Amino acid sequence: MNKFWYLTKISFKRKVWTKWFLAVNVLLFLSIITISNIDTIIKYFGGDFEDKQVVLVYDKTDVANDIFKTISSSSIIPGVDVEYEIVIKENEEDLRSSLEEDESIIGLIFDYDDSSVLSVKIITHSKLSTLDNIALTSYLTETKNAIAMMQTNIDPEDLALLLAAPKIERELLDESKKTTDEMMESIMMTVFPAVILPFFMLSILLIQMIGAEVNDEKSTRSMEIIISNVSPEYHFFSKVLAGNLFVLSQGLLLLIYGGIAMLVRNIVSKDNLLEVISPFLKEAFSPEIMNQLIYVIPFTLILMILTFIAYALSAGILASMTTNIEDFQQVQTPVVLISVVGYYLAILAPLFQGSVLIKAVSYIPFISAILSPSLLLMGYVSIVDVLISILLMIGLLYILIKYGLKVYKVGILNYSNTGIWKKMFKALKD
Amino acid sequence: MLKVDNVSKNYGKIKAVDNLSFSVAPGEIFGLLGVNGSGKTTTFRMIMGLLTPDSGKITLDGDKIDYSITDKIGFLTEERSLLLKMTVLEQTLFYGALKGMDKDLIIERLDYLLDKFQIKDYKNRKIKELSKGNQQKIQFINAIINEPSLLILDEPFSGLDPINVKMFEDEIKEMSKKGSMIIFSSHRMEHVEQFCEKLVIIKKGHSVLDGSLVQIKKDYGKKNLLIKGDVDLDKLSKLDGVVSVEKENSHYIVKILSDDYVNSIFKEVSKMKNITMFKVEEPSLNEIFIAKVGESYE
Repeated sequence: MNKFWYLTKISFKRKVWTKWFLAVNVLLFLSIITISNIDTIIKYFGGDFEDKQVVLVYDKTDVANDIFKTISSSSIIPGVDVEYEIVIKENEEDLRSSLEEDESIIGLIFDYDDSSVLSVKIITHSKLSTLDNIALTSYLTETKNAIAMMQTNIDPEDLALLLAAPKIERELLDESKKTTDEMMESIMMTVFPAVILPFFMLSILLIQMIGAEVNDEKSTRSMEIIISNVSPEYHFFSKVLAGNLFVLSQGLLLLIYGGIAMLVRNIVSKDNLLEVISPFLKEAFSPEIMNQLIYVIPFTLILMILTFIAYALSAGILASMTTNIEDFQQVQTPVVLISVVGYYLAILAPLFQGSVLIKAVSYIPFISAILSPSLLLMGYVSIVDVLISILLMIGLLYILIKYGLKVYKVGILNYSNTGIWKKMFKALKD
Repeated sequence: MLKVDNVSKNYGKIKAVDNLSFSVAPGEIFGLLGVNGSGKTTTFRMIMGLLTPDSGKITLDGDKIDYSITDKIGFLTEERSLLLKMTVLEQTLFYGALKGMDKDLIIERLDYLLDKFQIKDYKNRKIKELSKGNQQKIQFINAIINEPSLLILDEPFSGLDPINVKMFEDEIKEMSKKGSMIIFSSHRMEHVEQFCEKLVIIKKGHSVLDGSLVQIKKDYGKKNLLIKGDVDLDKLSKLDGVVSVEKENSHYIVKILSDDYVNSIFKEVSKMKNITMFKVEEPSLNEIFIAKVGESYE
């Protein structure tokens, strides 16, 4: 076997053929299964969350309670998932004594103020939860409006029409901004944790693994035996290739674990995930969305693979300059921080739509792999912008290979910490 | 034949190796001696192609040493160049494959050498679990796994007890008989004297003494006399040709300027009482080393 492929094979095996790799993957597998089924697990052990919140009502108006009951059972407030069990009380004393017996109960007293407008007194034993606060405020406002409309003798049918959700028709004057962009934005919100987070974690893993391996060979001086038999170029690129094969394999394993986790969820959960997300998937796989994903996915993969290679090259170069893993941990920090910036900007991007800064930063190598596809999915940048990011990434790879290899050749056989930068700059000039 | 021809290497303004020349013929064991920082490791690294000489050239059988011929070379570094997390088998397979050897051949050679060095039970043990001496054995086995035509040994006996030193010596001599060129450095002058037919002593990168061991000792001129008996120290030290007199255990070591003074000193010593030993000895290599380099090697 060619020595390059042999070195690559050995380097890959040294990462994969370990007890730790097995242990970490078992742990990852179990964690993914657990996270995907966390709601089922929580429900299995039971708790108060399954009971409806009891609301005791003493209605002095004789009409408010019926309307409140209708509204609270039919209105949907985004992000607020509460259910109320409404119980009527004949007088305030009765309501208060019930509140004394059960501290979790919420008490409502409906009355009219001096202007004959609905007024509500909310009585609780201690502070009201945020979700209850939001829900009650919303339902009571709607109840107040409905009573006000009734007082103006509006026909009940008209009142029902008035309270119903409006029929909304969308028209976009800018045809390039199709409504699918909004769908892409929601895909982004779903895809982000599933793709970007593992990519970020795998990048860090790649840097650490290459750094540790090069430093291991340096600190044991086996580097001298290796480099006396194979060229530094072979050694460098075998590490880069093995590192990338490792992260791609680990990424594939994560995908498989995710698939198994979904299957497990389908088996153990009543409300299986596929049913829950099927309307979303139906939208996501609509022809319009698919047309966009067809070029978003390849560009994203290209950028990610190029970035992995750049990380591997950088890690190799930095590791060659250090003599132990502790020093390497320090010099790799700036590279990792660049990724962290990209990660946070990708999270913040939806809040700063059209930000010139975020768009400009999305071109920067290392950051581009995280930020550029995210912005493309949300429709903030075009394919041309992503192509620019890819070209800049290729440019960086060229620089890393051309100049980094010079540094690597000098660095791997250098065991001194003194004058390291001087040696590196000299290597670059030679 | 290995030829190192007027080789120089500078690190900035520091001359690590300065116009160094020597050659090692097949079957020859060659000693490269010098104090720490004298340029030995730099010379070894240049021979192995890890460093490029600033001037001069190094050839093996007439060819420049590059990756096309490194499969014929074995290298044992001063530090333990072993990957501690690997087993003995994994490590040897790794280094053997880098020498272009087939897996089956590596295992066959490893089994033979492990048996020879009496550590065959360690084949599947992790290197970090082995003692320093056994790690050195593994390093040596890895260096000779490919039966190299050129073997470079940088301090091969460090960390070894006398029994293991003997094992190494026997193997080195056997390889020499088979025609391997062997070049080595050692802190133990007795090993160099015992092994090397030729040597070079380097100081600050340049050669201060080189040639065959016999010739070097002959050229050095000074001899040692070993005398046992009731010696009149005052009288002995004032004799012509005597450089110094030292008492060591039950005998005296008398350093003299040359062979020419042996007879006259013998006449005077024979007049002294109870003389039971008068022996003429060659100077030790360590003595020559100290005289030439100006400091002890150890």
